[in-house]
Amino acid sequence: MNSLSFLVVTVLSGTIAGTILGLINLVLVEPYLDRAIGIEVQNSIDAGEEVNPVEHFNYRFWQKGGEIVAGTILGMSFGALLGIVFVFGRKLIPGSNIKKALVLSGVIWLVIFMIPAIKYPANPPTVGDPDTINYRQYLFISFILISGLTALGLSLIYTKMKAKSSLKFLTITIIYTIIMINAFILVPPNPDEITAPTDLVNGFRIMSMLTMTVFWIVLGITFGLIWDKLKPHETTQFKTV
Amino acid sequence: MISLLHTMSIRKQIQISEANIPKAAIGLLIFILTFGLFIVGYDQGQLFSLVQGEQAYNDLWVHEFSHDMRHAAGFPCH
Repeated sequence: MNSLSFLVVTVLSGTIAGTILGLINLVLVEPYLDRAIGIEVQNSIDAGEEVNPVEHFNYRFWQKGGEIVAGTILGMSFGALLGIVFVFGRKLIPGSNIKKALVLSGVIWLVIFMIPAIKYPANPPTVGDPDTINYRQYLFISFILISGLTALGLSLIYTKMKAKSSLKFLTITIIYTIIMINAFILVPPNPDEITAPTDLVNGFRIMSMLTMTVFWIVLGITFGLIWDKLKPHETTQFKTV
Repeated sequence: MISLLHTMSIRKQIQISEANIPKAAIGLLIFILTFGLFIVGYDQGQLFSLVQGEQAYNDLWVHEFSHDMRHAAGFPCH
């Protein structure tokens, strides 16, 4: 396999999908963030703190620019993850490279985003308590690791099992579901009490889930398209016959 | 000349598929994955503390810069 082409596929597809994520978030998620931060600012003013509106506006403008940059970085990271999974898993899935990339992208979305998001949904500012940030990060990472490593282990078992594909898939799906139900019960919940308006929190969560889902779809399609263009798995040789 | 042309005519370009895993590329991608996720999702001053010292934990530049994406992508935040 051509390493350079492989790296270009992963980094480029991740960069494109991540930048699109940042831009979509500016439209769909930012209104919720602005409203939540507005509540925080009002709370600060009520507590007697001085808030300079011009400074605050400039600071938020800087953070919104950061959202696009962070989207690009996050996209590169998840693109790298899809690249690693694709190299090892592409032969398990029939069909075109776009289909393979989309299926694997969907599996990663489910395992490291959707399932953890059901246990620990995204929250807008005003919800998180700064004193619990380390504990919440620890819980979040733990849950993603449980889900991700379970899926990894089961995919290895899948490749070793000698049975029909449908039966193997059903078996590992059942085992994954049982393990994750137990994890849902055993891993502690988010300790923070939600005091923000319900419509704000729910609207933010729906938009977060929507844009992240769009990201994983765009990443899968982009990855498959660029893979087909560069064909890292094929190398050209000249042979005398 | 004729000999050269003859040689060229019997050299065929073939495409082969290689199953080998590019280990160095995988290692680089693991680094990109963990470093990128750390920056966007988890940094609480650790990265800039390498040059700024303790002040980085108060400024939280990386955290504040990636703040909006951190929330939007579902990572825990303050």
